[in-house]
Amino acid sequence: MSFFEGVELLKKDKARGKRKLSGADKREARTGLAFLSPWIIGFLLFYLLPMIASFVFSLYDFNPAVPDQAKFIGFENWQRALVIDEEVRLSFFRTIHFMAISLPITLSFTLFLAVLMNSEHVIGKNIYRTLFYMPTMIPLVAGVLVWNGVLNEQTGWINVIIERLTGIEAVGTNGLRWLADPKLVYYAYTMFGLWGVGNGMIIFLAGLQGVPTEIYEAAQIDGAGWWRRLFRITVPLITPVIFYQLVLSVIASLQYFLAPFVLNDGTGFPEGMTRFYMVYFYKQSFSFFNMGYGATLAWLMFLVALVLTAILFGTAKYWVYYASEER
Amino acid sequence: MKKLWLVLAALVIASLVLTACGGATAPEAPMEEAPAEEAPVVEETTEEEAPAEEAASGKTQVRWYVGLGAGTDEGAIPLEEAFVEVFNASQDEIELVLEIVDADNAADTLATQIAAGNPPDIVGPVGIKGRDQFKGAWLDLAPMIEANNYDLSGFDPSMVDFYLVKEEGQLGIPFGIFPSFVLFNKDLFDEAGMPYPPAEYGVPYVDADGVEHEWTIEYITELAKLMTVDGNGNDASMEDFDNENIVQFGWENLWTDWRGAGTMFGAGSLAAADGSAQMPEQWVEAIKWTYDGWWNEWYIPNGAYAGAEFLQGPGGTFSSGNMAMVQMHTWYLAPWALGEVAFDWDVAAMPSYNGVTTAKMHADTFGILKASDNSEAAFEVLTYMLSEEHATDLLTIYGGMPARLSLQDDYYGIHAETNLAGKEINWDVIAAGMAYADNPNHESWMPSYLETNDRYNETWNYFANTPDLTEEDIDAEIATLVADLQAIFDAAE
Repeated sequence: MSFFEGVELLKKDKARGKRKLSGADKREARTGLAFLSPWIIGFLLFYLLPMIASFVFSLYDFNPAVPDQAKFIGFENWQRALVIDEEVRLSFFRTIHFMAISLPITLSFTLFLAVLMNSEHVIGKNIYRTLFYMPTMIPLVAGVLVWNGVLNEQTGWINVIIERLTGIEAVGTNGLRWLADPKLVYYAYTMFGLWGVGNGMIIFLAGLQGVPTEIYEAAQIDGAGWWRRLFRITVPLITPVIFYQLVLSVIASLQYFLAPFVLNDGTGFPEGMTRFYMVYFYKQSFSFFNMGYGATLAWLMFLVALVLTAILFGTAKYWVYYASEER
Repeated sequence: MKKLWLVLAALVIASLVLTACGGATAPEAPMEEAPAEEAPVVEETTEEEAPAEEAASGKTQVRWYVGLGAGTDEGAIPLEEAFVEVFNASQDEIELVLEIVDADNAADTLATQIAAGNPPDIVGPVGIKGRDQFKGAWLDLAPMIEANNYDLSGFDPSMVDFYLVKEEGQLGIPFGIFPSFVLFNKDLFDEAGMPYPPAEYGVPYVDADGVEHEWTIEYITELAKLMTVDGNGNDASMEDFDNENIVQFGWENLWTDWRGAGTMFGAGSLAAADGSAQMPEQWVEAIKWTYDGWWNEWYIPNGAYAGAEFLQGPGGTFSSGNMAMVQMHTWYLAPWALGEVAFDWDVAAMPSYNGVTTAKMHADTFGILKASDNSEAAFEVLTYMLSEEHATDLLTIYGGMPARLSLQDDYYGIHAETNLAGKEINWDVIAAGMAYADNPNHESWMPSYLETNDRYNETWNYFANTPDLTEEDIDAEIATLVADLQAIFDAAE
């Protein structure tokens, strides 16, 4: 009996009323708990306890450089974050703005790649799958630095290629300044993300390979074309995978931090556009040592992520298809 | 059988818990982070071996933390270790323990150590910026200076006052100073047939026709334009100059920010005497001059040119060989920046603005943390480090000029011999620059130091990367900046 089956059984037992556990059941429960205990202890020590501590910090004016000067200030940090500090609102909207651009592009590109890699018409699929997956093996920091060179306005080969192919003035001071132009920077950062879609592609691919081929054959016999099959069969049947990717991507977007930090040390360059919420949180906590205020910002983001995830789960019943009709 | 399972499970759990709670294996660090990985080893020695050593030798351990300023590069570490070894050999009461943390992690590591109640005793070398990041954490040395009759007469009084911080006390004793000057590429001036900038303060620039020009910012602007060249060989003063094909620039206030560049126009502070935010008038002039150099007259590399390949060198734009003049400090006169350059260079006087010359100054010293348990012993170590006999050993590692007046004469020869053997440098003009040091210092304290720093750098970067701004646009941005700084100052109260 698996753990989940056990849970189901317990639910049914509960529904029937309390059932007295036999000695064997108790021993089995104890064994189960014993096996679970490393995770439970780890969760309590390394997640729950720090979370409680960070909430307590959020009620203090606390600078780790002068811990003896820590002062209880009640909800002043919360008031500052929610009412006074405009940068909190701005950095949050920048994060949402970036998410609105990068998330649809990244998800659809990942799905597109997976569909391509699942196509029977592509020769050497395994080689392509490996090639598309390979960038995910490169450390993200190294990848970001490589892209920084590739997108350099003076010497980056993307601008050189654009200029040579199209004749558009892409190189130089008047050219395409991917990382310095506020209008382009989110697209440039999205490009960094596209480089590492290998994991997402594999997950979509697994979903696509789970779609029964006989449904396609039946649709083909009925005269459905490729696009119709894609939108009427493939996409609906892999909505659980899309949903999974969407939830993870939303949370990852809210936590977006590494690229702007590596490229600009979190300065927000250009024009504050890359001072995303988590960058601002990091600066407050670990650069300015406003640890109490930083803890407040972390809690706010936790609450926002919780609400957004709950909303996504709330909408799932309208568009996510589960063959077993159970989620 | 079930008992066997239970025993096995208990063993697995115990091993997992022990693994989780035990010291994490240090991740493989890149080469340059080696110092950062060394620190925990030293700490372990402190915690685990100290009692035994204390019992055996009765020595008090003093921890010296390096990372907030110079001293973490590969070349410096063995020299610092040798210094510690010599100190320890001379002592029977104190044992000095060196902790070196990579500069990128040094501030966070130090904050964590202080918060965890495990602070080091001495921290440094540390500049004004590093010191102000830990505002409130430093010990006022005045009582110990008095109790130990420590003689401060060997220093310029203004340098002693440099470390006297309002409401906090004497946070340091002068150690190393780094005056600034004009550093210029002699080869580029020779190629252009232009005489070199003035080699002493108070003398004019004599041009190729023998005409004298007062050495002012107005004239250095003209010179910088003449030294800025495009791919066709036209300079920035010519009508045919192609600003999209520049191959050589005339001027840059290298590796500094608004406060640093602004100080060339006069010393000032973003915090007014009443604590409110302000932008000194001369710094407004400075940004307008700089903006002109970036986008209108093209003699300073703007944001778009900053990443250009022809301006890259180990010491930034100057060591690329395609930059005629920069403002720089003595810490730059070192092998890492100028050791490998394929051109000849020299130093010159800073120009004046409205009749006043200002040569911004950097200064480093060592501080003792308030949280130190061994502040008396730490002060003894500090006096050894700053003493006439031993300060030069450290200053040679960090490239600083001695703040102690008696050591300054010998310093130039020692520094040149150690760092740039065979190179003749006009030390006189560097020493003369000390008389024009900025007061208030451009790195001096502001409320919420790093946040303020971040905010004004954002505006600075905006100007560096945005062409076609009018003077009104610049004024409006400055007004917004001052309002934002005021909000930061208010929040810091």
